[in-house]
Amino acid sequence: MGAFHGVTIAIVLFGIGVLGLVIRKDLVIKLLALGLTNSATILCLVSLDSRTPGAAPILVPGVEAIVDPLPQAIVLSAIVINFAILALALVFVMLLVERYHTTDSARIERETNAEEETWS
Amino acid sequence: MIRRETIASASRSSAVLAVIAVLLVGLFCVVVILELGYSGPRPIDVDRWIRVAEEAGATNVVSSIYLGARLFDTILEVLVFAVATLGVRFYLGTRGYKEVVQSIPESNVVRVGAAVLLPPVLLLGIYVVAYGHLSPGGGFAGGVIAASGLLLAAIALGTERINARLRPAVLHGFEWGVLLAILTLATLPAPLSMPLLSDPLPSGRMGSLVSGGSIPLYNAMIGVKVFLSSWVIAKHFVDHRGEI
Repeated sequence: MGAFHGVTIAIVLFGIGVLGLVIRKDLVIKLLALGLTNSATILCLVSLDSRTPGAAPILVPGVEAIVDPLPQAIVLSAIVINFAILALALVFVMLLVERYHTTDSARIERETNAEEETWS
Repeated sequence: MIRRETIASASRSSAVLAVIAVLLVGLFCVVVILELGYSGPRPIDVDRWIRVAEEAGATNVVSSIYLGARLFDTILEVLVFAVATLGVRFYLGTRGYKEVVQSIPESNVVRVGAAVLLPPVLLLGIYVVAYGHLSPGGGFAGGVIAASGLLLAAIALGTERINARLRPAVLHGFEWGVLLAILTLATLPAPLSMPLLSDPLPSGRMGSLVSGGSIPLYNAMIGVKVFLSSWVIAKHFVDHRGEI
């Protein structure tokens, strides 16, 4: 039952993240929402293979049942790559802010359209 | 004025469309899960991974997987991290910012707090790296802990004083040297006529600090790499914005 609760929370968090990614105009908020979807994915993967009588996968005396260690090894890559993606995306946001002096994606879009019209 | 209103209404309708799309996708997922008949967790073969960990000689089963059976993925993950660091350096480091970085007005609380906290934080990072094959932790977590300690020192002292100690040229040399060492250790089994990405070192007595074959070595090198890369990323952000 614990796994099912975890997956439910993960689906809700993922939905909130996707909505934030689509609806909100602020680029930094969009990146936060992207991080939320990533955390939801990690929560989903880890809780799918959780067990109610299951300890952390460390082999110490006295521990009988451990959870499946494979998803935890897999989400490690997801965490590190999410960190790398967020750092790189923040750099691009900083470059955009430097040029357009706003983090509003709608305003940036309008200004790039205006620039294209002046060039064409 | 009319144009602004049309833009606002357009964004509102696209927001409504987005909500509907997300709800539809969620509904689709629920239908698929119900259709598949989710009947609780599937039976797993934990014993197989316990055997892998015992062969590697590491108590932490997760570390014996990601630095043993799935070593190839971990190496690519370190490469992705290195490429991201390179991207941050390329886009922020090549922009000449000449302004003097203003440090936060010196406060005794921050300075004394940093001086008190920096050694324990660095020690905790080293401990998490060194015991990564025995207890929860490992190179990635320990490296980030130690880098956050360095960031604390940068907040208290200003980045110039940290830069004077950790010179950027030496830092970058170390960063890429450690990456080269990781790749060398991973390809070492080939000239020793062992299977590629296998463990060339003996596994040792399980549960002791020197055990797990090459897992502690990988942990140490990944820890140094993550520590230096995280600090480089933080330093470039700070230099660019001039906030600390």
